[in-house]
Amino acid sequence: MAITLQKLLEAGEERLALELILGGEHLGRHIGEKALNRPGLALTGFFQYFAQRRLQVFGLSEFTYLKSLSPAEREKRLRAVFEKDVPAMIIARNRNPLPELRALAEEYGVPLFRTAMITSRFINECTLLIEELTAPRDRIQGTMLEIMGIGVLLQGKAGIGKSETALSLIERGYSLVADDITEVIRKSAGRVVAYANELTRYHMEIRGVGIVHVPSLFGVASIRRETTLDLVINLHTYENDAEEDRTGILPSDIDVLGVKFPYYALPVSPGRDMANIVEVTALNHKLKLLGHDAAKELDEKVMETFLRKAKK
Amino acid sequence: MADEQTIAREFKVLNKYGIHARPAALLVKAAGKFACEIYIGRKGSEVSAKSIMGLLTIEGHQGSKLQVRTIGEDAVEAMLEIAELFEKKFFEE
Repeated sequence: MAITLQKLLEAGEERLALELILGGEHLGRHIGEKALNRPGLALTGFFQYFAQRRLQVFGLSEFTYLKSLSPAEREKRLRAVFEKDVPAMIIARNRNPLPELRALAEEYGVPLFRTAMITSRFINECTLLIEELTAPRDRIQGTMLEIMGIGVLLQGKAGIGKSETALSLIERGYSLVADDITEVIRKSAGRVVAYANELTRYHMEIRGVGIVHVPSLFGVASIRRETTLDLVINLHTYENDAEEDRTGILPSDIDVLGVKFPYYALPVSPGRDMANIVEVTALNHKLKLLGHDAAKELDEKVMETFLRKAKK
Repeated sequence: MADEQTIAREFKVLNKYGIHARPAALLVKAAGKFACEIYIGRKGSEVSAKSIMGLLTIEGHQGSKLQVRTIGEDAVEAMLEIAELFEKKFFEE
């Protein structure tokens, strides 16, 4: 997924202290590759390998080198870089652009930026920002909660009681991240982070009551801005329990943004306290993460006992 | 009731690990499809075939003989399904 310079500028104006010097009419250009390049080697005339689809960052070494050249040579070397149709040039440490750089940027229609940051820090921060802007994201149906540090996505048909279950869990002291619609984004290392839509954040719709503002009712501890996704729970009615696992030794999983997550199908029926069951599911999952899988351990114990008795 | 019927059969546990969690879950799932009551166990101590925890306590290790009773309208169908699980070694071997 490629992003435009416009997007980078909007997102990076504050975070990267990024400032446009010229080329505002070309901000629709795409950043071809999610990394940055320092064009030092290209300026010396080496083009056998040149990462031309990346943003080009001019730091102290590029500047010092360019300054060591005669104006005519400088123009020639810079022109060779611009010939490669790079997406944009960024000058670090708030240096003033050399007149040749300015003129060539103008001529080739390549936007020229400046940042107050030092080069190495800028490259780190900018890489992270581009990573964030291009990360796979989605909007999924489900209520997102955080239970004892475990991010739980509650799914199920409309009217099955997702919000009501969430409400009970909030009353027990757990936190709401998003009601009914959850935004997810895949971070590096397969981590998926869930958060709410900015506009409706921290609001919930309870049937018969209407829309409520959760922190006003339950205090600031009842909400969280975002949480990592750890497991998905699907509330369903008994009619379709074909996939149900009665022992917990046959785990199933579900794909969210290309990452697999444990998936639990919990049947809903009259008299079943779903909040309680969701809580137990989350805590049991936490226990598994700590290396203690109760179902498996019991099964192993049972099998071992049976094997011994069978041999007698 | 007129169409209440009881069927009783004895099965030998054939699979190596006996009725541990996975076979117990299969039994529960099969039993759950029928309206009749289903009991599994030995003389004097039997449990409902619709209870996982119950099934684990009967200690159905390999070679043990277990009585199965089905009571109700669909007792025959239920017994056939349970029999298949025992005969096919709970699909374990």
